[in-house]
Amino acid sequence: MSILSSMLKKKQKKRQNDNYRQKQDPQKPEDLLILSDYKDNMARIKGEFGNSTDIVFREFKFGRKKGICVNVDGLTNQELISEFFMESLSVSDRDDNLQDSFQLLADKVVNLGNIQLITDWNQVYDALLSGNTLFFLDGYNHAINVETKGWEQRSITEPSTQLAIRGPKDAFTETLRTNTALIRRRIKSPNLWLESMKIGKVSQTDIGIMYLKGIANEKIVLEVKERLKGIDIDSIQGSGYVEQLIEDQAWTTFPTTYHSERPDVVTSHILEGRIALIVDGTPFVVTAPAIFIQFFQAPDDYYSRFDISTGIRILRILSFFIAVIGPAVYIAATTFHQEMIPTTMAIAIAAQRENVPFPAFVEALVMEILFEILREAGLRLPRAVGQAVSIVGALVIGQAAVQAGFVSPVMVIVVSITAIANFSTPSFAMAIAARLIRFILMGLATVLGFYGIMLGLMFMAIHLCSLRSFGIPYMMPLAPFNPRNQQDVFVRFPVWAMKNRPTFISKGNMVRTGENQKPGPPKQEENNQTSNGES
Amino acid sequence: MEKAKIKASQMFILVVLFEMGSAILVGLGVSAKQDAWISMLLGLAGGLLFFLVYYQLYKYYPTLPFTSYVQRIAGKWMGRLLGLLYIIYFIYLSTRVLRDFGELLTTTIYFNTPLIVINSLMMVIIIYAIHKGIEVIVRVGELFFGVIYLLAIVGFLLIIFSGLIHPEFLLPVLEQGWRPVFITFIRETIIFPFGEMVVFTMLLPYLNDHKKVKFACMGGMILAGINVTITCAINVATLGVDLFERSNFPLLTTIGKIQLANFIERLDVLFMLYLMIGCFFKISVFFYAAVVGATDLFQFKNHQKLSFPIGLIILLASITIASNYAEHIQEGLKVVPVYVQWPFQIIIPTLLLIIAFFRNRKKKTTSTLI
Amino acid sequence: MMKKIFVIAILFLLLMPMLSACWNQKELTDLAFVMALGVDKGEHKKFDVTFQIVIPGNVSSGQNGEGQGLPIAVYTSSGDTLTEAARKATKKISRRLYYAHTNLIAVSEDIAKDGILDLMDALDRDPEFRTTTELVVTRNTPAEVLVSALANLDKLPVNKITKEIKSTEMMLGENMSINIDEFLAGLVSNGKEPILNGFIVKGDVEKASESEDLQHTKAVAILAADGLAVFKKGRLTGWIDHEKARGVIWILDKVKSTSVNVDWNGRKDAITMALLRSKTKVSVEIKNGKPIIHIVIKDEGWISEANTVVDLMSPSEIEKIDRLVEEEIKQQILASVKAAQKMKSDIFGFGERIHRKDPKLWKKLKRNWHDHFADLEVNVKVDSYIRREGIRTKPFWSDLNK
Repeated sequence: MSILSSMLKKKQKKRQNDNYRQKQDPQKPEDLLILSDYKDNMARIKGEFGNSTDIVFREFKFGRKKGICVNVDGLTNQELISEFFMESLSVSDRDDNLQDSFQLLADKVVNLGNIQLITDWNQVYDALLSGNTLFFLDGYNHAINVETKGWEQRSITEPSTQLAIRGPKDAFTETLRTNTALIRRRIKSPNLWLESMKIGKVSQTDIGIMYLKGIANEKIVLEVKERLKGIDIDSIQGSGYVEQLIEDQAWTTFPTTYHSERPDVVTSHILEGRIALIVDGTPFVVTAPAIFIQFFQAPDDYYSRFDISTGIRILRILSFFIAVIGPAVYIAATTFHQEMIPTTMAIAIAAQRENVPFPAFVEALVMEILFEILREAGLRLPRAVGQAVSIVGALVIGQAAVQAGFVSPVMVIVVSITAIANFSTPSFAMAIAARLIRFILMGLATVLGFYGIMLGLMFMAIHLCSLRSFGIPYMMPLAPFNPRNQQDVFVRFPVWAMKNRPTFISKGNMVRTGENQKPGPPKQEENNQTSNGES
Repeated sequence: MEKAKIKASQMFILVVLFEMGSAILVGLGVSAKQDAWISMLLGLAGGLLFFLVYYQLYKYYPTLPFTSYVQRIAGKWMGRLLGLLYIIYFIYLSTRVLRDFGELLTTTIYFNTPLIVINSLMMVIIIYAIHKGIEVIVRVGELFFGVIYLLAIVGFLLIIFSGLIHPEFLLPVLEQGWRPVFITFIRETIIFPFGEMVVFTMLLPYLNDHKKVKFACMGGMILAGINVTITCAINVATLGVDLFERSNFPLLTTIGKIQLANFIERLDVLFMLYLMIGCFFKISVFFYAAVVGATDLFQFKNHQKLSFPIGLIILLASITIASNYAEHIQEGLKVVPVYVQWPFQIIIPTLLLIIAFFRNRKKKTTSTLI
Repeated sequence: MMKKIFVIAILFLLLMPMLSACWNQKELTDLAFVMALGVDKGEHKKFDVTFQIVIPGNVSSGQNGEGQGLPIAVYTSSGDTLTEAARKATKKISRRLYYAHTNLIAVSEDIAKDGILDLMDALDRDPEFRTTTELVVTRNTPAEVLVSALANLDKLPVNKITKEIKSTEMMLGENMSINIDEFLAGLVSNGKEPILNGFIVKGDVEKASESEDLQHTKAVAILAADGLAVFKKGRLTGWIDHEKARGVIWILDKVKSTSVNVDWNGRKDAITMALLRSKTKVSVEIKNGKPIIHIVIKDEGWISEANTVVDLMSPSEIEKIDRLVEEEIKQQILASVKAAQKMKSDIFGFGERIHRKDPKLWKKLKRNWHDHFADLEVNVKVDSYIRREGIRTKPFWSDLNK
């Protein structure tokens, strides 16, 4: 047994080492430096990029020296560079011997933007691929790196998920800078700190970490940074990757980080002391830490008054439960606990099930899987058609199945209610978790009825209570129960009553609102006017 | 011992859930007939008294669980032996509760299902919970506390609205005088459920605020005691003395009578829900105490290694301790109280307290000499 | 890592048996819902049991549009015990008998006279039976007929019977809803005797179970409630009917609304008062070591009919009517008490009340309570209030001979 496993392990390691990228090969120290001859530099860059046609080289004359300007077409703002070339880069031959040409060039290039002097080849590639422009001057082994980012990006549009009826309608885009700007506009405080790092060996994705200094928990910030630094993967294609790599626990269906497309949501999280992770290339921003109850809060809750918000939030939690235990309860009630169903209803269901060939569990399973397939199909179709097809498909197929005698009408009702209840969960990640758990509970219900369902729910409860998100218990503030933090769980206190920030996340400044914020008619002064207006 | 800390409010909730766990289901104090509720209250008073003994022991050794300080008090070998006995005692009690639970389910709803299936599934969940540790258990307790109270209030309201309560069934009070009440008190209600607080001697060191122990535990006992008394009174008031005496599970019968608006009926399943949660906590607490005790006594590094084996023991024992329900009940009413519960809950702790008292007095006098 | 896999594997093995069979699972289509049970004295065996089973497809508004057949099917079986009869019935029925929705148990007079006690434990002990099941005694007809009879207003005849009991309890008060639990409580207690509702099939008994019965607007056979059965020591001793039955129900404080007729001006049953609410309080007074029962009834109502000349707008007239009503009710109650005392059966639970009031005295009286009950002194006091008289003032009779 051990020989086999050690053999397997050896093979794995060998494969890994072979696939290691060339960049990891130890390089000779001289190779790391920029060469003096600009032509050599140009040749080297061309060689590395394999003569890729979108690398633009522009030779120019600066006084008596020659140089090249390298940038990647499509990542840089070409207009800016052309203008620069036309206007700033003309210099008379007279000056060149008196001053350092390089310094002169640098002074000119400053007109373009933020400049940096680099000597390292790795920095060359980083710079080029970030959209910067590099200026090489013959005879100098430095290069000037100037920021000239400019590429096509999606304009700020409405969010495609998490719609709010009353609330801002802008959403994040795929560019890091735009996203950080959207957040900065909403929190105009110098305490809003942004730290950047690049993750992903090949993709070198930019990641920004934003938090409010003094309110966010320092330990969590450090923890997040540690975990990010520990990521060793070749590419990050979306914030989902980051989430999965820095999660607390892998073996759980429940999300321990929250992601959102809306700046107002992320802003309110930052204000509560959380940390936002903005990943370049995706409009979904990740906030950590996350707790269970968060996934039932929708942005709309905060823009309406507290009574409606409370009612709807309770409705949401209720519908989550229906989505999770709906079909399971149906199966348990009709196959184990028929005494629970009122007599007339029991007879009605029995009548419907007379002609159905399958036992209840198979029926439920088939219908549920059918619904899942329809949902997936609806996602693939073009937008205009997709919604219609999934709804019509569900109705038509359901109806046809009922008439053909495959399923009973009650089953169709149960499954549709479950599906609709599932949609009402504000967070997609939680809805997915509900979908998976639903099937497990259905299986348990088939075997042991309500006892099975209860066992499943207890297991879920124990599991939820043992989860931690970056050190914070997942089920805060329900368990451990903290009376001060109940203001936003089931009931949403009016805005003027939410005095303090959640104590378990932030450690700094706790108070949110001032005193006496409750609205009311204007107070009258003591010795006031008498009725005929004398003061 | 785990590196865990529990707040006073969490301890309070744990005490309430533990006490109420299976006390509400079985017919407690039935031999006192309609005065069962009086013997309940007496049991509560007695239990509070016992708890003071445990509390005093805790004050002498606030950071050690019972199995540790019993070694200090009674000497190494005697202490170790006592500790082992207590571990077995806790295992036995959790076995009894598991058997009770399984019997209830197989009698009422799942009568074709073999007992071992029901018990083993419950144990799987409990082993998982113990594996995760005491903090998770109390958190789950906090979650379910609200659920249980909701169920209780809803049930109570439904019973009232069905017009089932006849307060006159509680009369005549003290018909046979105080004697039956006292006998029931001594034999039954003082040890079950209130005497079982002895298991908390293993858990008190986890509390992070020493001053609040009294409030948390005694308050929990009082709340649970009142709940149990009210339930008992409602049972008698709804069922009448005869049916109360004849029912294996009085609360189940009471709930079965709820009939409202033509469609709310046969809510036995809700009862089962409550039962599952209550028994889960009771078994978990005993089980956990046994695991912690064993970890402590045999010097294991962490308790997780022991959770599975001890769980398996409890499961297998629950099938084998009695061959039919009558035997199980008979054991519980005649044999266990006298030979097991009284010594472990009352006699040994009191003796230990006396010895500890003398030891500490000696310590104090010796220290003042210096 | 290996240990973890090992442990998980063991767990799965432990859970395997679950998949092999689902012991308690019963599909709805494998169950026969027994709606009502009828027990008669058997010819060869002790009991002849009749099962009324519902045919679900014919009951609910089916969407398959099949012809509406009969909603129930009836099967009989016999045995020495209820369990034996139930198991024997499986030879005739294709499904498992399911008792969780049994709402009615009908017992024939013969069984009620001798043998009802042998039925009770099975019904009490089995968790599947509802303890809120109605129990009735059939009069002059075998229980089998009652259980096989169809009804035209309700699809399920058992609903007809249960709803009818509840409705007549509310509107007339000559019957009350009595379920297994209450019957058992009465049997066991030595201070109270139980009563049961009586049911009868009027009309052509033969045709009761045929669907032709339903084809007539005026059904040929009708199920009707009829009187109260009085038990003594677990056996049927007699029947109480009509107003005396109402008196019994009144003392038990179950009458809600009923009607009382009084004579006026020489005309019999001229004015009718309809009761809306009624409350009965029974108390015990011990005088010279002997118990005296005081029954106080307070009720309110309105005048539903006045077929004579009377001025209903004058409070003094109303008061006079009040007095007459009170007297009438008092007489009826006393008559009921006398009827029960004749049968020496304490169906009112006076014994229990004495027990609660004075346990020591009860200990003495317990043994021969039936005889003591027969000589018990009972006082009745009625307070009746007429609140309203409908939407007319004087009856038109006052204007007739002008």
